[in-house]
Amino acid sequence: MPAHEPSPLLHAVEIIHWAALAVMVVVYTLRIRWLLSFRATRDRQKPGSSDRTDAQRGAYYSLGNVLMPWAMESTRNGFLFYLTFAVFHLGVVAGIGLAFLSTVARPFLQHAVVSTTIMALLFAAFAIGLYRIGRRFLRPVMKLISTPDDYFSIFMLTAWFFLGGLTELSIIGRLPGEGYAVAYLLLTSFFLLYVPFSKISHYLYYPFTRIWLGRTLGHRGTYPLVKG
Amino acid sequence: MSARENKDTTYKIQVMRDILAKKLTRSVVGSLVACVHCGMCNEACHYVLSHPDDPKMTPSFKADQLRKLFKYNHDWTGSVIPWWVGAKEPHTDADLDVLKDIAFGTCTNCRRCTLNCPMGVDTAVLNRIMRGLLSAVGVMPEGVRVVSKDQWEVGNQMGVLKEDYLDTLDWMSGELASEVGDETARIPIDEPGTEVMYTINPREAKYDPRTIAAAAKIFWAAGESWTMPSEGWDQTNFGLFSGDDQLGGAAARRVYEKQKELGAKRIVISECGHGYRSTRCEGPNWAGIDQDWEMESSVFTMLRYIKEGRIKVDLNKLDKRTTYHDSCNLARSCGITEEPRELLRLVSNDFVEMTPNRAENYCCTGGGGAMSMSEYTPRRLRSAKIKADQIAATGAKIVVTSCHNCVDGLSDLIKHYKLGCEVKQLVDLVADALIIEECAVMKKPKVVVEMPKPALPLHGRRILVVDDEPDVRIFLRTVLEDAGAEIYEAADGNQALAMARRHKPDLISLDLSMEGKDGIETFAELRSDVQIRDIPVCVVTGHPEFREVIYQRAVPMPEGYMDKPVKEDELVDNFRRILDLAEHHKVHA
Repeated sequence: MPAHEPSPLLHAVEIIHWAALAVMVVVYTLRIRWLLSFRATRDRQKPGSSDRTDAQRGAYYSLGNVLMPWAMESTRNGFLFYLTFAVFHLGVVAGIGLAFLSTVARPFLQHAVVSTTIMALLFAAFAIGLYRIGRRFLRPVMKLISTPDDYFSIFMLTAWFFLGGLTELSIIGRLPGEGYAVAYLLLTSFFLLYVPFSKISHYLYYPFTRIWLGRTLGHRGTYPLVKG
Repeated sequence: MSARENKDTTYKIQVMRDILAKKLTRSVVGSLVACVHCGMCNEACHYVLSHPDDPKMTPSFKADQLRKLFKYNHDWTGSVIPWWVGAKEPHTDADLDVLKDIAFGTCTNCRRCTLNCPMGVDTAVLNRIMRGLLSAVGVMPEGVRVVSKDQWEVGNQMGVLKEDYLDTLDWMSGELASEVGDETARIPIDEPGTEVMYTINPREAKYDPRTIAAAAKIFWAAGESWTMPSEGWDQTNFGLFSGDDQLGGAAARRVYEKQKELGAKRIVISECGHGYRSTRCEGPNWAGIDQDWEMESSVFTMLRYIKEGRIKVDLNKLDKRTTYHDSCNLARSCGITEEPRELLRLVSNDFVEMTPNRAENYCCTGGGGAMSMSEYTPRRLRSAKIKADQIAATGAKIVVTSCHNCVDGLSDLIKHYKLGCEVKQLVDLVADALIIEECAVMKKPKVVVEMPKPALPLHGRRILVVDDEPDVRIFLRTVLEDAGAEIYEAADGNQALAMARRHKPDLISLDLSMEGKDGIETFAELRSDVQIRDIPVCVVTGHPEFREVIYQRAVPMPEGYMDKPVKEDELVDNFRRILDLAEHHKVHA
């Protein structure tokens, strides 16, 4: 549907953005092919506890782990950190939604509930991004395990959240001009091209690692965990 | 670094690259690429919690050591701009030593971090792979090298020789018969077509044979058709710790092949966490064999006997508070958490859980082969503070565990932190709690066979009794002469050696604590003298603490061992068995 009448500059940036997405899809496809090119393994032993669980149940449990903060000690004891994780990633979803909807369904983004939700998530994620930058710089453990890619990714993502929030403000007319949208789409395009080569692509691997681990531990009888 | 050293190191790193390429499976690569360095694994590790000032203890840092090598050689970004993603290779022997220290000295592969990673990164598996790469190029702690060598060459990780193993079983057979008062009770060896083939940890044969006798008592009481194999009896596997899948496969295959050869229906694995994981879970994968036979932990076996009414136990026999320590390998890697508790609740009326427990339990700190790496002992014991606090909070006097490694690790930390409790296994508790009169064995019809009266059991045997106490010598002489033996006496070590050379007796009964040349020294000399070294020796001592000393000598172990005071019938019975076995060996030599 014709969403809006962009300026030639914004229109060009939108095209770049969609092109970047196409490149990312291709690179991600190659990336998954690469991952699947490695040898698959299977457990040759009999199931450990077939009356209680199995590989499939273990895989479901493992995959759903992200939605069960009570399931892992690390999220149970660090519930605040889990909440920041959840909001941060909802911010990512909001940012991606903003980038694509702004090119095809701009009026939708002008709806009060939608714009408020997107801005709340983006600015909250921005604040969490700042906290994460501080955490990565100040905690000795985090400094030790961080690479330039880790620092760059969190910096850029935090900036992207902030710019996304400003873009939404411009879409609802609280900020003048389309400069924010241009900058935001360009930064999004950069991410689409950069992400497959950086740690940010972890979400691509997430289902694979969780399912593989879940299948193994389900087959052996460990997943789902039995609590005392 | 000299040119030669440089060449050697380059070769080692090339070997590591080649092996890494072979170990890259989908799930391993997934764990290598999915880490986001979020630090969530940090507080899951007992090394981190006990070393809060050392960031290098964090699990992701340990896994990163392999990740760096992987990214450098296999990852797109890492191979083009390595510094950007931390891709790197070791260059020198010093680099390899640092990796050795991290992979072997700061992680017990307990998998607690794995279960706490939001991404499902299996850090413990990555650390094991790093151990495997280092082991392949000879960079490993000396203890790991020695134990791996024994497992490859002797067939078990403690280098227990076949004859010593069989002697121990024979000895335990005697113990069993005298304890249950049934002369037919014994430990069957290589019996074909039985229901159960029982496999053990070599630690049991070498240091703690009581657990073999306890298990034998339970099998006997249940009226089980069982056997122990003369070979392929070691269910433990140092391949799990060293990261050597070939050793893992070879060790597991020995057990499986023996089971096939004997035609036993199931392999029962004595209480050992890594042994169970290696034999039951990883072994078929390493050996490349699809499991089409039954294997179970002895915990399941004992529980089944109780449920089937084959054995009966007394809940109130034990009058101390117990707690249960979950072995990492059983709970996290094999999902065994409930059965041990069910069994423990049947023999202990005062059981309390430690917190956390089950798959969230902390490592005993002796896992991952840590007990064989003495160079890391101070660090290990510091990391054990977490476990010590956990145990102390329960107020338990007995820590029960289903793992031999945990027995050693926990005993060590209990002593170090002065917790004033002891460690036991379920097999000990169940054997002690048996109500023999109500077990299956007592319900079997007794077959009474009239036998001709036997000749005196030691008729014609010549035995040298060595003891510095005249009263003991008189006692031994009287008992043994009544059993038909001809006796020589010696009051000290020198006299004993001289008489052994002169008379070449069939057996020597040796006291350890004697004036002048003591029994330990005398034993070493006996074993070093080519003329008399084959004479069987049975140690008869009132100092059980010397036992370990004599077994640590680099000479063949004594053929028998008895604690004073000895009972007359046990003395005669043991001596007769030793002499029969020696004769058997002579005939088959």
